[in-house]
Amino acid sequence: MYKIAGVVVDMNPKYPRVTKQSEAYKTDDTKPDIHITMPEEFIAERQKENPHLSLDECEYIWTGSAFYNLLPEFGGFLLHSSAVVYENKAYLFTAPSGTGKSTHTQLWLKNFEGSYILNDDKPAIKLEDGNVLAYGTPFSGKTDWNVNKRVPLQAICILGRGEKNEIEKVPPEEALFVILDQTCRPYDADKMDKLLTILDKVISEVPVYRLKCNMEDEAAFISYNAMK
Amino acid sequence: MKTKPGFMLRSVGGRNVVVAIGQASLEFNGMITLNETGAFIWKMLQTGCSYDELIDAIKKEYDATEEDIKTGVDALLAQMREANLLEE
Repeated sequence: MYKIAGVVVDMNPKYPRVTKQSEAYKTDDTKPDIHITMPEEFIAERQKENPHLSLDECEYIWTGSAFYNLLPEFGGFLLHSSAVVYENKAYLFTAPSGTGKSTHTQLWLKNFEGSYILNDDKPAIKLEDGNVLAYGTPFSGKTDWNVNKRVPLQAICILGRGEKNEIEKVPPEEALFVILDQTCRPYDADKMDKLLTILDKVISEVPVYRLKCNMEDEAAFISYNAMK
Repeated sequence: MKTKPGFMLRSVGGRNVVVAIGQASLEFNGMITLNETGAFIWKMLQTGCSYDELIDAIKKEYDATEEDIKTGVDALLAQMREANLLEE
């Protein structure tokens, strides 16, 4: 069994990537909350549809997908973001792929001693006992930069490129629009309802900022000082 | 008049928001934010009502002239028609 973002998962990875990246999430818990089955035929079919991906990558992508689709049932959701932790607080930088999330969090690692990446692509955000937490998961996109840790979520930051480094808070509707865009949007009413209930709590408790930044060290100080 | 199926109104972060689900979400991946009156109108349209029923209900609920109410309602209905959210 594996325990990911507080959810006990019964899964049996066959390929190296999921196997290796899930190692740190193994648990002695015996009662699963969810089952993820990835039959070889299923993975083979996905690979045929996506010839640019290997079987290994397909299992990784579809297992992650299955996990995140079920997460709202347990009060959580994924945010496509790079999550950095400093002083035991998690800061999630969200933006479409290629904007520079990882570049920015690397500046934090460079300038803030003791900081680390919780998950570089899809951290989980979860409500537990009235608190909003960020979790590492085995599913971290192209890299294996993820840590099996649970950290209080301090802030979410919408990242965009800019010549000068500037940051400001954004109103709830703007925050919600971006978050919905950077999570897996449920198709059915029941799941959407669950997700919106979670987002209501998250947006009410966690400040959301918009950062325009360049690639200089100053950017990390600007974002940290505004959000800490 | 009625809102098209597949739209969900919820309060999120202190704002009234409408998102699309199911079939509708394949065409509409945006999000609508409504103020209090807008949410009141949306809720009536979700069950379905005529233009006059709508105006009357708002008159009962809010303290405003019929003219002002009609201006506001017409503006919202125009936006909804343009975004293809209304069934007549």
